[in-house]
Amino acid sequence: MAQPLLRISDASKRFGGVQALDRASLVVHEGEVVGLLGENGAGKSTLVKTLAGLHQLDAGVIELDGRSFRQGNPRLAREQGVAIIYQEPSLFPDLTLAENVFVGRQPKSGGRVDWSQMRARTASLFADLGIDLDPGRLARGLSIADQQMVEIVKALSLDARLIIMDEPSAALTNAEVERLLGVARRLRDQGRGVIYISHRLEEVFQVCDSVTVMRDGATVASAPIAEVDTAQIVRWMVGREITEMFPKVPAQIGEVILSVEGLSSTGEFHDISFEVRRGEIVALAGLVGSGRSEVVRAIFGIDPITSGTITMAGTRLSRHTPSRAMAAGISLVPEDRRLQGLLMPASIAHNTALTVLRRLRRAGLVRIGAERRLAEEWATTLRLRYASIDDPVERLSGGNQQKVVLSKWLATSPRLLIVDEPTRGIDVGTKAEVHRLLSEQAAAGMAVLMVSSDLPEVLGMADRILVMREGRLVDEISRADATQERVMTAAAGAAA
Amino acid sequence: MSGGLSRVARLREVPVLSALIVLLLLTAILNPAFRGGEGLKAILIESALIAFLAAGQANLIIMRHIDLSVSSTAGLVSFLIGNTSMNNMGISVPQSLMIAVAVGAAVGIVNGALVAYLKLPSLVVTIGTLYLVRGIFNYLAGGVTVTADALPGWVAAIGSGSILGVPDLFVIALILCVLMTIVQTSTRWGRDLYAIGSNPPAAARVGIPVAHREFAAFVLNGIIAGLAGMLLLFRFSFADATAGLGIELYVVAACVIGGVAIAGGVGTAMGALIGAVLLQAITFALGALGVSQFWQQAVAGALLVLAIAFDRIVALRSTQRINRLAEAPV
Repeated sequence: MAQPLLRISDASKRFGGVQALDRASLVVHEGEVVGLLGENGAGKSTLVKTLAGLHQLDAGVIELDGRSFRQGNPRLAREQGVAIIYQEPSLFPDLTLAENVFVGRQPKSGGRVDWSQMRARTASLFADLGIDLDPGRLARGLSIADQQMVEIVKALSLDARLIIMDEPSAALTNAEVERLLGVARRLRDQGRGVIYISHRLEEVFQVCDSVTVMRDGATVASAPIAEVDTAQIVRWMVGREITEMFPKVPAQIGEVILSVEGLSSTGEFHDISFEVRRGEIVALAGLVGSGRSEVVRAIFGIDPITSGTITMAGTRLSRHTPSRAMAAGISLVPEDRRLQGLLMPASIAHNTALTVLRRLRRAGLVRIGAERRLAEEWATTLRLRYASIDDPVERLSGGNQQKVVLSKWLATSPRLLIVDEPTRGIDVGTKAEVHRLLSEQAAAGMAVLMVSSDLPEVLGMADRILVMREGRLVDEISRADATQERVMTAAAGAAA
Repeated sequence: MSGGLSRVARLREVPVLSALIVLLLLTAILNPAFRGGEGLKAILIESALIAFLAAGQANLIIMRHIDLSVSSTAGLVSFLIGNTSMNNMGISVPQSLMIAVAVGAAVGIVNGALVAYLKLPSLVVTIGTLYLVRGIFNYLAGGVTVTADALPGWVAAIGSGSILGVPDLFVIALILCVLMTIVQTSTRWGRDLYAIGSNPPAAARVGIPVAHREFAAFVLNGIIAGLAGMLLLFRFSFADATAGLGIELYVVAACVIGGVAIAGGVGTAMGALIGAVLLQAITFALGALGVSQFWQQAVAGALLVLAIAFDRIVALRSTQRINRLAEAPV
């Protein structure tokens, strides 16, 4: 083929102690859809953000159309012909679709914004891609799939040469994915280059002309799609041995604590049934957006369910709310500790005691001494590193904040502990401590339900692995049978 | 064209305008004294100042900001012009305009710089400048009272004049609101304000200079507040340390009732003008129907809550409709 549209070679980028990109390379030709694949943290996002003008490489070369690509400025990136379609687009809900396409550069005639020209140009771009939307309607209430279409049209109105779709299908229905893939093909047929990022291998095989696989910041392999199969791609993606140590303590697995039957929530998940037993750690694996977090939120009573039953230790929970869930012995450590788990300016003691204030009261007033003693006990158990128990939690490191969240929920002595991504974004040392703690709690008779995207963690910790895909439970794997390939294949939805 | 007609029907200003017309008709039916047109004229005179101020305030509310300092600025300007006239045996139009623009711009620059560049919350900043300017005003005014005989003839002439039966004061407010609506709907500067209010991070991402727009809108609003000080003087031919006291919340109420949602991203100056007239018309109608003044205020407050609730309900219903559509089998 002729000179490529995009050529990235030897790209390296370091964030503090993390080598996000390590001599990565990527080539995209005109009229080609390239599937960019890799596990979370493989470096795809860093590469995309560099092309978006949000990061600057420490070393390496990026050439677009044979010219050196000027980095580090989103506006400049756009002017050089790069457009990015994100998984969650951010349109202006109060503006019309036409204005969303042309915002900041509305066509003018005689000094005034030319609304009819704007609508006409948007309508013709919609027609080019076969999109059936009224340019005059407001963006408010548009489905995510349609919002992405508007973003794509915006990219075309800017005459983007290279269009990057960053996990565009994660939140789409099957019909919407079909339309998206159709649009990607049209863009290719117009001679543009498309980078398609997705964890769903089916789609990659449907739409991509070639694949590039990344791992640990480096490019592992690039090949035309015809020369690879699912098994090969999964091997490239996983590739490494599990080296981390998981201090799994053997536990006596006892009676059923949580039993979920036929749990459904329209648009989120469908017909989910499983059990968690005393002393058992059950992992809920799957891709981001597969409905894992939604299921545990429903079990904790945050989100409503449309049908199904939740039974705790033989008692069916009805009219489910978080306070009833807590009363029944369930605790949930949420994924986003900054937003949902902690009161950042409040002290370690306050945060720890928050869930058990009722127990610490005397005559309606919280006993400060009891609060501090409780927090100190947990801080010792969890080996929390802190100066004073009265320090605000915002001063702690991410790992130590996670420990405070854990102690806050462990303080309620739950019978079922649900943890959502318990070790995301924390350092390896603390991670091992969190693992040790979960394992010890299970050995002491607690039931643990863990949502995690970290495959080594899932394999190392879980007695049983439930895999979700597109809102359904697709596989159940015992500890003995679990391999990264099997989990990944079930989650990505390709028959290996 | 039916498309054009339905677009007009969807405008946020339509329900308020309909409510206003219904209200005026009802009042005219129930109270014969209102039919002469004098009642309407009184409503327009009373709402002019609020509508004038709402033109600038709308820009800020569209961007999810607010400026409560306008009543102090307007009051101070009206007193300064009156006091200068009293000390110098009269004052010219250009001199008055200079005072209005200078004082208004100064307050606007302070508000704008603190909000746009230091990222302080506009509610807090402008409550601060509301009291700050009122404090300076009290110091300057002391016990001084400017009365009609100290003011030049053109002040009273504009205050009581009318064009084709429409009070001058209202004509001035109308012109400003029309111009501002054109700026809001037909210039990139104006469209940027809606983008900022609709999704602030996305606005920055598409390259809109958010801070500059915020700063400019605050300065413009300050200048409008300064000019409103002249309207205040025209209206009352009188100024002391209480001039303009408390009108800032009526301005905000007029905007909200007129469709400029406090959540940002929607509404126009024309809508705010209609809101100002409606607010005044209700007070007036209740008075004409013999309702006591205490109840008139309560009703004005209830109307404000109603306007917000109405907006919320409409939004909720349209979201529900969309969700139902999304769940329907394909």
